[in-house]
Amino acid sequence: MIPLSLPVVSDAEVPFVTRLRTATTSGGDAHDAVLIDDDATGASFAATGGLFAVDGVPASELDGDVVLVQPRSGRLERLLRAGSPHNTLLVTERCDQLCVMCSQPPKKTHDDRFDLLEQACLLAEPDSLIGISGGEPTLYKDRLLTMIERVLTERADIEFHVLTNAQHFEETDIVRLRNPLYRRVSWGIPLYSVCTQLHDHIVGKEGALDRLLASFAVLIAAGARIELRTVLLTSNVDELPTLARYISAKLRFIEVWSLMQLENTGFAKRRWRDLKYDHHNRFKPIADALDIMSLHGVAAQLFNFPRCSVPEPYRRFAIASISDWKRKYAPACAECRERSQCTGFFEWHPADEAEAEVMPL
Amino acid sequence: MTTLPLRLRDHPTAGVLCVNDSGRFFATSASFVDRVLEGRCTTDDLHFLDREGHLLRDDDAFTKLAHLYALSKRIVQPGSLDYLILVPTLRCNLSCSYCQVSRAGLGQPGFDWSEATLAAVLGRLDELPGERIKIEFQGGEPTLRPDLIRAVIARCERFLERQFVICTNLQELSADILEIFDRPDVFISTSLDGDAQTHARNRTADSAATQRFLANLNSLVARYPAGKISALPTIDPMAPPDVDALLDSYATLGLDSIFLRPINFQGFARKRHRGSREQQENWRAYYRRVVRRIIERNWEDKSRILEETYFSICLRRIFHPGAERHVDLRNPNPMGVDYIVVDHDGIVYPTDEARMLARSGVIDLSIGDVFNGWNGTARDELNRCSTNQFDPACQRCAYQPYCGRDIVDDIARYGRIDVPRTDTEFCRRHLHLFDFIFELIYSDDPAARYSLARWLRLPATPDQYGITHQ
Repeated sequence: MIPLSLPVVSDAEVPFVTRLRTATTSGGDAHDAVLIDDDATGASFAATGGLFAVDGVPASELDGDVVLVQPRSGRLERLLRAGSPHNTLLVTERCDQLCVMCSQPPKKTHDDRFDLLEQACLLAEPDSLIGISGGEPTLYKDRLLTMIERVLTERADIEFHVLTNAQHFEETDIVRLRNPLYRRVSWGIPLYSVCTQLHDHIVGKEGALDRLLASFAVLIAAGARIELRTVLLTSNVDELPTLARYISAKLRFIEVWSLMQLENTGFAKRRWRDLKYDHHNRFKPIADALDIMSLHGVAAQLFNFPRCSVPEPYRRFAIASISDWKRKYAPACAECRERSQCTGFFEWHPADEAEAEVMPL
Repeated sequence: MTTLPLRLRDHPTAGVLCVNDSGRFFATSASFVDRVLEGRCTTDDLHFLDREGHLLRDDDAFTKLAHLYALSKRIVQPGSLDYLILVPTLRCNLSCSYCQVSRAGLGQPGFDWSEATLAAVLGRLDELPGERIKIEFQGGEPTLRPDLIRAVIARCERFLERQFVICTNLQELSADILEIFDRPDVFISTSLDGDAQTHARNRTADSAATQRFLANLNSLVARYPAGKISALPTIDPMAPPDVDALLDSYATLGLDSIFLRPINFQGFARKRHRGSREQQENWRAYYRRVVRRIIERNWEDKSRILEETYFSICLRRIFHPGAERHVDLRNPNPMGVDYIVVDHDGIVYPTDEARMLARSGVIDLSIGDVFNGWNGTARDELNRCSTNQFDPACQRCAYQPYCGRDIVDDIARYGRIDVPRTDTEFCRRHLHLFDFIFELIYSDDPAARYSLARWLRLPATPDQYGITHQ
């Protein structure tokens, strides 16, 4: 696992964003922190914001990272790791839904860091796709959209992918979202079932599905780019073909439907036995759903499905979705031909399950 | 107010077919239609219609917008010009009985591009804004002028995606031509009317020429990977080849895609094959026999998949709106926008059939030339009519979302474009074809379901293609 947060000591008074430079040839940019000293377990840097010493990772692995130094809590957050395609910024931990399987259980308090995150985005590597997540980012919709617009205006090479429950889009947002800048923004939006009771139960909020559909009206009118997401659960697995049919009829404006296997973290950890659908035993509802998507020409993909667990005709849908920093493989995966295309397992996936499931291809 | 944007068709085998304006469909019974017309829909009916996106209510902005989005995907919005049919020469070394362009003799002067025409064509290529180009060399026999083909290909190097199709009778294979064929971005399209006897009767006339053609075709099939070469049969409906003989002649050459065409009512065919103006039931029956036989053969030998090209195109148009770019079946059918035909004299036509009509002296549908451009009133006039959107018969037709409009075909057959739609060969052909496709969509035959899946390029064979609501 790649650590995203490291212990830091700094003389600064306030948090600041900087880009770490360890090569002697680079530096000189006011945004860069220059390496002063390093050894096998850490490094010290000088930045405009202050001096700081970071522990736990050799300097060579930090080169180019855009980081947030937080002197008071003594943490350094690697906001945008150099060379990683999986950088995601957490803009808030508050949420107005409470999904039964939430991988990142929400908190009541909000720490507004939009200005710092904006600075970080402006320092991103060329052609970055930056993820935005929460909590629910659109609880601070105006702050969020303002940050996105500023960054995209400044940096024509950057794209955003925002995870949102789409409970807060209003008709008045249409004009704003029609700004051509938003062609570089895609919205990852969950829909678990088209059965109102079931969807609302899964997300822990009454009226959520109706509100979601109202938001879709806004997003269609705005020409928004949407990735529809469905986490697979024991409760919605048999509804998948119905959901697929609905998508092919009424949600044709989405770019892709991502069908996601459950992540063993957050709330799902202690509800694992109840929530986890083991698709090894019966792939049929998933196959049926994918057949409907293919038949009607709507793109679909499988997230968090190890390739050996997917019947051959459907393997093309199983993409390497798990982010690099939290991905692992079982020992038996070593000999698999398809390992490089495979998503593997989450770092926190039960080791015994992973070991039992793997059938190297 | 509530709207059901549905068109109905009493289908011979599937029941009552209900097709949404956006092309989504289901089969049902007359009793459901009665319930709708008499305002007696059950809760279950309404729930079904809503789920399927057929129930448009004023207070449901989401469903209405979703419907409009789906509808928009059925309407062609042409991009910039990226597909050109070029005719570097009208001369030909064959004289087929149904030649569509009334070719010029091998030694006749004045039927090749001049220096000035070539320069103008190359200039037009330089102006194109896109990153993609597809060029089809037609004739005459374009391989009589490898120098012109080479000049065009060389000028297209700047495009990221290039595709050159050389439509040739493969009578002569010079080293010069082989060198062009060897390019990976060059594809070969030829005519193969079935077994050697049929091919000779229709085209080559003598058996030596037929043997030369077949030897050339065989050597190219051996030389190149699958997909490099395609072939089209032209069928004389009065004397169609034996179905298996036709399929064998394609299959043994590794050609899996067969575009079954009756003689086109164009060029020499207007005089020598008068019957080709209207196709009769015997042609339709032959067509169905071929497709059914292909389905059987695919089921018997799963190692290869044969298809009738036009059937596949129409099938994909039903399920994959916007994915097909077949310029002979689309709606509207923009003329002279994203594709054009440049004749041997630099005159620009909207379609190859329009070129044939001018050549046959029927009507001049040219829209300009490569020297002065083609975006004038002639083109606008054609585009005003080139849609099935407002045709009263089409507006009631269940198949309109999948269908197209071909005004040049109407002019070719009837000399006018206002013949009632249902009285045209274009309409009859497509009604028959879509009826046939829906018969297979609602078929229980596992062999039919298997072939449909392959033709739709699906990963597996779905449980069903069409839903039913009783």
